[in-house]
Amino acid sequence: MNSLRSVVPILAAEESTAALVTFVVYTLGVFALAAMANRLLKQKSFLSEYFLGSRGLGMWAFALTFAATSASGGSFTGFPAKIYTHGWILALWIASYMVVPICTMGLIGKRVNQVARISGAITMPDVLRDRYESRGLGLLSTILIVFFLVWNLVAQFKAGSEILRTLLADVELFDVATAWTGAQISGWEYFDKVEPSYLLCLMAFGVSVIVYTAYGGFHAVVWTDVMQGVVMVLGVAVMLPLALMQVGGLEKATQEIARMQPPRIGYASMGLEVPVASSQRLRDEWFLAPDESGELTRVCRVSRDVTFEPGERIVENVRFVELTTPEEVERQMEALRTPAAIARMQADLRGVAESQRAWENAEGPVEGEIVTDAQLDALPMAVLNHPDAPVVRVTVDLVREYAYGAGETGGYVSGPAPVPPTLPATADGPLPDESAASVGFLPLGVAISFFFMWAISGSGQPQYMVRLMAFKDSRTLTRAIMTVTVYYSLIYFPLVIIFVCARVLMPGMEGNADAIMPSIAVLLTKNVGAAWLGGLLVAAPFAAVMSTVDSFLLVISSAVVRDIYQRNINPDASERTIKWISYITTFSVGMIALVGAIKPPEFLQDIIVYVGSGLAACFLFPVIAGLYWKRSNLAGCVAGMLGGFAAHLSMHLIGMAVNGRFVNAYRLFGMDPVVIGLFASLVCVLVVTPITPAPNETLVRRYFYRESGQGSV
Amino acid sequence: MSNEQTYDPVYLHTRREAIVIIGLWLFALLWTVPYCYFNGFHTVSDGGEIETMWGIPSWVFWGIAVPWLVCDVIAIGLCLFFIKQDDLGEAHEGADIAEDQQRLHQAEGRG
Repeated sequence: MNSLRSVVPILAAEESTAALVTFVVYTLGVFALAAMANRLLKQKSFLSEYFLGSRGLGMWAFALTFAATSASGGSFTGFPAKIYTHGWILALWIASYMVVPICTMGLIGKRVNQVARISGAITMPDVLRDRYESRGLGLLSTILIVFFLVWNLVAQFKAGSEILRTLLADVELFDVATAWTGAQISGWEYFDKVEPSYLLCLMAFGVSVIVYTAYGGFHAVVWTDVMQGVVMVLGVAVMLPLALMQVGGLEKATQEIARMQPPRIGYASMGLEVPVASSQRLRDEWFLAPDESGELTRVCRVSRDVTFEPGERIVENVRFVELTTPEEVERQMEALRTPAAIARMQADLRGVAESQRAWENAEGPVEGEIVTDAQLDALPMAVLNHPDAPVVRVTVDLVREYAYGAGETGGYVSGPAPVPPTLPATADGPLPDESAASVGFLPLGVAISFFFMWAISGSGQPQYMVRLMAFKDSRTLTRAIMTVTVYYSLIYFPLVIIFVCARVLMPGMEGNADAIMPSIAVLLTKNVGAAWLGGLLVAAPFAAVMSTVDSFLLVISSAVVRDIYQRNINPDASERTIKWISYITTFSVGMIALVGAIKPPEFLQDIIVYVGSGLAACFLFPVIAGLYWKRSNLAGCVAGMLGGFAAHLSMHLIGMAVNGRFVNAYRLFGMDPVVIGLFASLVCVLVVTPITPAPNETLVRRYFYRESGQGSV
Repeated sequence: MSNEQTYDPVYLHTRREAIVIIGLWLFALLWTVPYCYFNGFHTVSDGGEIETMWGIPSWVFWGIAVPWLVCDVIAIGLCLFFIKQDDLGEAHEGADIAEDQQRLHQAEGRG
């Protein structure tokens, strides 16, 4: 979903090493599973095994692969960030997860599994093509799937690399490797604006996912999903009690955020009097800004790393968050006066002062004073521009109030919730239009839309449908629904509680809310003296992205191998040819997405929002009609698919004309485009089917009847 | 073998189950959204304490947590007692490809 904007090292050296160890152990585990899965490929019908696990998934494998695939990186980065930013209202946003497992698995699960068995279909386009006996329909659905999912794959690669980069940001070995990578790519024009650390993580993350997926196929993906699913639920299980304990109970947390006012957000400039000789990085800092009377009473948190390069004196456009709730301001003032906070700041500033002296020694006397050690020793508070030791001076260039809910209390415990302002790209840029945010977070129509979005459109995504074709028998399905029902209840509602507590425990994180999950994991574990656990906890979001990427990859490559190559180019291909084509296709599709993610298009986030729901609008009703309606025919199916696609796309196009951005889709009747798309698709199916010729009798007999005598179970 | 045909029981069962599941979805929607909208929107005045239940705002508790539990229980009940344990049949691996091949060869034979 969201990606981290800049690398904020979150873990101190010790946990970072733990994170690196976690990552290595984890990756080795994944490869071991892939090797085991590859052995299965030698025993069974290759394609069915490689893309569908021979339709033999048992309860745990099926339940957890389903749960882990749908929990993308968003569940552990974007969702926590939203809870942190808007408060308890996110419980309503996610509420439909109470019926998501039974809807997404139960609505079509058993029937699609059976229908796929009848024709031997192993992909969703296969099912549709066989059900309506139309090669054209197979191709149309293949094209739609590849179109939508490739974009998503690029985005997930990017998200995974960003998370990994955040985790490893402080590991020495990683710094060395980054420097080496930087040296390798310098001089290549293509890599001009690519950060070496990002590229390195992309390669490590991307290549390992591609290799294990390509080598092990479906079973490798499923088994790693199981491992990832366990990591995720353990992460939540550890964090919940720690968060509740440290905040002093949920009642206290809720009452406290009820009294909170939204902060202000803005840009500041950081300045040195004397340049530094070597690159100096300041991370996770606070500063005080003057109020109207000139007194330093406003407490602000810097939202990103500030790095002074050699010879440089000023860093501009540093985003910050200013606390406005009196209670919070007071508490934070105290926290900044603790010996631990002061010691940390002294260490950072001493580095800057030393580097300034080195600069002076090299370049000769300069104007401006360098703060002395004695001044730093006497530093009474851990803020950047303290008058007693003004190493870094901060100037506030722009401050903005919240677009909704500014100056009011109660927004974090009721609806509509506060909405942060959109900042221009730079402090002196034109202020963006914020009319869209003026109704607050989660107006009624959108709340209803999310019931469709998660529960209904979740049923319409081909990457989940294909999992429904892989379970072993009916009993596996019902047990898996029960398991996922419990699993989601243990993850999603507790996440809301954890990050409501996070608002209290960690104020001022609005500027880089995407980093709240790893930050809070580290804080919680450090407070109980188990810092190493932090490194393990932050593996959860990483696991979430990995388990989504691998299944997307397989859905795309199966579409290419099965639906394009085997069914349209060469049905006579031998098992051996198919095998090599499958390996090569999976690998190539992954590599294409990986190359795309080196320099991801700027509008990537917009596309993700669009494709996430677009697929459901195309597929849900054509599939449901095919499974449950005898009269449904090819024309109705195609009309539903194209109608859904067109309606959904046009909401976005109108949005672009009216609101100026493709991603700010037009909300007809206050509804999200996915609801409009689904509705249009349903209408197309219902109108076009009856006015076009009835389907072929043999097809109906094949899918809806049984010879008497072989009837019931 | 007789030509007499009956509906495939899996088709009949799954269709009925799908309708009941949509009913459950609607039940969740109709409980949660209106309850939260009338009790959780624009309800907290400045500086006031919020009414809670076990630390959860009471509108979240009655509008989301409770229906969540109820839906969990119903979903598990449906799985245990309502959704039929149907036989899904043997998979005809490669059946569709065989048809493709047959068609291809017929076309070649004619050509």
